[in-house]
Amino acid sequence: MEYLVEMKNMTMKFPGVVALNKVSFNLRPGEVHVLLGENGAGKSTLVKMLSGINKPTEGEIVLGGKTYSSLTPRESAENKIAIIYQELSVVDELTIAENLYVGKLPYKKIAGLKLVDYKYMNQEAQKYMDEIGLKKSPSTLVQDISISEKQQVEIAKALAAKARIIIMDEPTSSLSIEETEELFRIIRRLKENGIGIIYISHKLKEIKEIGDRVTVLKDGGYVDTKDVADLEVEDLIPMMVGRKITGNHLGDREQIEKDNEVIFKVENLTRKDKTARNISFEVRKGEILGFGGLIGAGRSECMEGIFGAKPITSGKIYLRGKELKITDTYSALKQGIAMVTENRRETGFFQNFNIWKETSVTTNLKKSTFGGMTGLLNEKAEREKAEEEVKALNTKCSGVDQMTVNLSGGNQQKVIIGKWLAVDSDVFIFDEPTKGIDVGAKSEIYNIMRQMANAGKAIIVVSSEMPELLKTCDRIIVFRNGEISGTLNSEDATEEKIMYAAVAVD
Amino acid sequence: MTRAKFKSFWDKFGTLSILILIMICLSIASPKYFMTLDNIKQIGLQSTVYILLAFGEFFAILLAGIDLSVGSVAALVGTFIAMMLKANVPVPLAILIGLLISLVLGAVNGLLINALDLHPFVVTLGTNTIFRGVTLVISKGSPIFGLPASFKGISGYVLGFPIPFIFALVMSAILIWFTNQTVVARNLYALGGNKQAAWYSGINTRNFTLFAHMLASFLAGVAGVIMTSRVGAAEPTAGEGYETYAIASCIIGGTSFFGGKGKIFGVLLGGLTIGTITNGLNILNVSSYWQKVVMGALIIASVALEKLVGSTVKD
Repeated sequence: MEYLVEMKNMTMKFPGVVALNKVSFNLRPGEVHVLLGENGAGKSTLVKMLSGINKPTEGEIVLGGKTYSSLTPRESAENKIAIIYQELSVVDELTIAENLYVGKLPYKKIAGLKLVDYKYMNQEAQKYMDEIGLKKSPSTLVQDISISEKQQVEIAKALAAKARIIIMDEPTSSLSIEETEELFRIIRRLKENGIGIIYISHKLKEIKEIGDRVTVLKDGGYVDTKDVADLEVEDLIPMMVGRKITGNHLGDREQIEKDNEVIFKVENLTRKDKTARNISFEVRKGEILGFGGLIGAGRSECMEGIFGAKPITSGKIYLRGKELKITDTYSALKQGIAMVTENRRETGFFQNFNIWKETSVTTNLKKSTFGGMTGLLNEKAEREKAEEEVKALNTKCSGVDQMTVNLSGGNQQKVIIGKWLAVDSDVFIFDEPTKGIDVGAKSEIYNIMRQMANAGKAIIVVSSEMPELLKTCDRIIVFRNGEISGTLNSEDATEEKIMYAAVAVD
Repeated sequence: MTRAKFKSFWDKFGTLSILILIMICLSIASPKYFMTLDNIKQIGLQSTVYILLAFGEFFAILLAGIDLSVGSVAALVGTFIAMMLKANVPVPLAILIGLLISLVLGAVNGLLINALDLHPFVVTLGTNTIFRGVTLVISKGSPIFGLPASFKGISGYVLGFPIPFIFALVMSAILIWFTNQTVVARNLYALGGNKQAAWYSGINTRNFTLFAHMLASFLAGVAGVIMTSRVGAAEPTAGEGYETYAIASCIIGGTSFFGGKGKIFGVLLGGLTIGTITNGLNILNVSSYWQKVVMGALIIASVALEKLVGSTVKD
């Protein structure tokens, strides 16, 4: 059998939209087939047909010698298809072994009662955990393990279900560099066992590292399928977006050094919980300052301290030479500091607000006194301001009455940036500004950051994607274990140098 | 009417439709009494306390929380005022002090929620019992009668209309303005929609939580004043279980339990619905024991009906 699964001319129509138009896709045993495309390109629509969630309007799926016009979730499972979503679906309150066998717990009969056979279950679970190298006891509660280990539990679960096809939806989006390496090691082992992997990702670099073939989708249509060995990563970008991303996002170094005006300065900042200690840095006019390091090294924690979101025990913060007094996020806002947080859904926007209400939250607070207790609303002005920001940032929406939650990730991010631009903040802290955002919108956000820096705002970027730092930042500060471990200028910064500073070498 | 149009109609007027439906049913069940002017006034009067308590409850639920202590706050404020009146404190001053006490009680709720980082359900479950207990202690468990006529006059009539109901309508107008036009209210909606995002947008979530609970208790205190003046006596057990009606009014009125969504006008209609049901059950001579059973069933039925009609036309 040449293919594990063959999908021919898959089409999916929703009322008014063609989400997928005649897309064909196949998967060989033991290969990693990358599915690449911007958000909304149709990747999820396609794989949901395999997991039995979407019923295709047209097309056929050849699976295990049979031809289906659509699959049910049951048929999907019977054909040994497993899917690992970006939002992991492990149950925190259960043990690793219970998670592996949830819904089909092995049992023994004692006096006519069916009782869970824990001994057998843990033994079996251990086998699958060993197979992927998950070094934990099967009776560990899942809530006590790390995110990457949870993901490994999902993979072990797929193995326990004897999966032949494993779909991974952006598996590295919340993994550190080492954890990603670990995942790739597991994926290679799965390949050796003849398992086919459909790998959805935005990260172009990973494709070269782990992919065998890549299929590119654009706006619900099929673009091309290529062998990864035959192509350069840069070739993929125009295929995805239909436009070449050009432009260097760096500032004019000579100008920055000539002006040499320090806009923003932090001295000896230490957080109460010691997750960031003795942090000092300054941002000069026209400069974008990057913060690199491993996840958990204390970069975001430091920024939360500056922004007043988390308590600090010491540290002075200056804006254009004037010391700021920051006690909470309200005082940070009042004094011109803005923070675009890492997790949009949790800390970024309001699920109950449309774009104009979202945009005006900060404006209303800034105009108000007593912590936002006073003042009247002015809907007309709020709408106008929101429309202005939507236009300035090229936010794609049906209008300012659209709910923020219904926008794509990149456009949500623009609304959040607009909310801080609306109050004319002086210092912008971006924490993982392009997480989960497609390539096209990423480039736009880099441009926006550069424009803001040129307009005299202090821009701080925390990112775990080293290419992002190298591409956008004029200077990069690296964190290790809650402290600054190195500073690099853009000319001589390389991924290796960042890594060197980020991990303890000796 | 297209489906989409009906959907938006139902979103706006669903609660009103349910209220009208209940009124039609009651008019048919009791053609002689229900639809008389006197009885309509009576419904207004009976609804006032529910409406005011529900307004207070609204601000707690808006933050994705709850306030189980509104009934006890009303009783405690009423008892305090009655005791002051018996000690010859002038009526306006007694009411003012009573309302200040309600703010203190709300601050107790808000500060405990903030300091202990507990869900408002737990905190107000406790303070509900504590406030009730304090009421029983200070009144020694007996009702306080013989309040001055000027105080009872608050629940009188002007131009033939019950003053409390007029007051409830005025309060509705003020709160509709408040929720639509002030920055502080918008911040409450934001906080209810996403507490973390509110904090990272510059809203001091603790201060606003405190504010919402003080406002909730204040409105409960206002309800306490009206409740006491209407009865003409402060009963230490007055308003017991009224938190249920306040919560029910909010739900009937479309306030989301997940926070950040809801309208004062809906809550007003919700309170009127509860008042209408109470009135109808009295007119129909349903025994007071059975009234509770029927009331509970009708609360579930009216919310279910609203949801059912709403969902049948989804998309």
